[in-house]
Amino acid sequence: MENFSALFGGAEPPPAAAAAALGFGPAKAPGAGSAPPPAAAAPPPGEDAARKAASGPFYLLRELPGTTELTGSTNLITHYNLEHAYNKFCGKKVKEKLSNFLPDLPGMIDLPGSHDNSSLRSLIEKPPICGSSFTPLTGTMLTGFRLHAGPLPEQCRLMHIQPPKKKNKHKHKQSRTQDPVPPETPSDSDHKKKKKKKEEDPERKRKKKEKKKKKNRHSPEHPGVGSSQASSSSSLR
Amino acid sequence: MAMAEKFDSLEEHLEKFVENIRQLGIIVSDFQPSSQTGLNQKLNFMVTGLQDIDKCRQQLHDISVPLEVFEYIDQGRNPQLYTKECLERALAKNEQVKGKIDTMKKFKSLLIQELTKVFPEDMAKYKAIRGEDPPP
Repeated sequence: MENFSALFGGAEPPPAAAAAALGFGPAKAPGAGSAPPPAAAAPPPGEDAARKAASGPFYLLRELPGTTELTGSTNLITHYNLEHAYNKFCGKKVKEKLSNFLPDLPGMIDLPGSHDNSSLRSLIEKPPICGSSFTPLTGTMLTGFRLHAGPLPEQCRLMHIQPPKKKNKHKHKQSRTQDPVPPETPSDSDHKKKKKKKEEDPERKRKKKEKKKKKNRHSPEHPGVGSSQASSSSSLR
Repeated sequence: MAMAEKFDSLEEHLEKFVENIRQLGIIVSDFQPSSQTGLNQKLNFMVTGLQDIDKCRQQLHDISVPLEVFEYIDQGRNPQLYTKECLERALAKNEQVKGKIDTMKKFKSLLIQELTKVFPEDMAKYKAIRGEDPPP
């Protein structure tokens, strides 16, 4: 940038004049650059480079800006030691909702402030009319805060509604597995019983089948397997 | 470090204030005549809480908050997203400007190279004034 400005005069010279200064004028021969510049394209007074230009073929030359000047060619994030912040915010996904940033704040804070007139912008645009200091409430002032007994109507209970937290479920699961003696809930015990039943069922069925087979072999009404086979073979004959 | 302490103090006062308001909300949500003294106490805690927060203002007068952050908060969005987007935008712009500077440097060296071919004498004078430029 600095070199660029040094070459072209830096402070926005008129384009025609700049072109002429560099010898890009339409009808100029290669040697024409050494000719004295026209009066209309004279540089602003008080410049060192301009003084130099009077003696040489160049004008509109400015002094080069200092090399220490901070420009966009340096990585400004590393220059201002913001790598940590960059990695923190851009390295991983930042959760979208305000309740993720302020998890302990009661109430539904994810709703837009314009809904319940609680926006910060409205606080700036229409600041509350109040005194410059906060004074404690006296006994007589507190009489104004005597309330009727009983619960609040439904529409005023927004304070207790909390956004659903997904993390809690996960934590609960973890604590369950980590607990050496987990508390037995009725649903848990039922589940275990069902599992036991399922495990026992095939064994019971097998035993029952074996018993049935034995009974069948010995009973006179149902002839055994061998006899049936014999009968079938006889019929084939 | 001192800066962190200032913020910690404000944060602590704000947390106490919010907790007091939460408890006040619970008392009010199902009010019993016996809890009137508790309510009065909470109301005065609220006033002292506001006084404490107001005192923190003196320590933080040099802190400025961009107004755009308030828009994020008002829309129920995480204000860290603002920081994230700012950093991303800064880096993108930084890269863009660096690209322009690098291109201009290349252009300058090429221009000098070509001008030296066409105007060798003038460019010799130019180099005498400016000195030799480092390669881009």
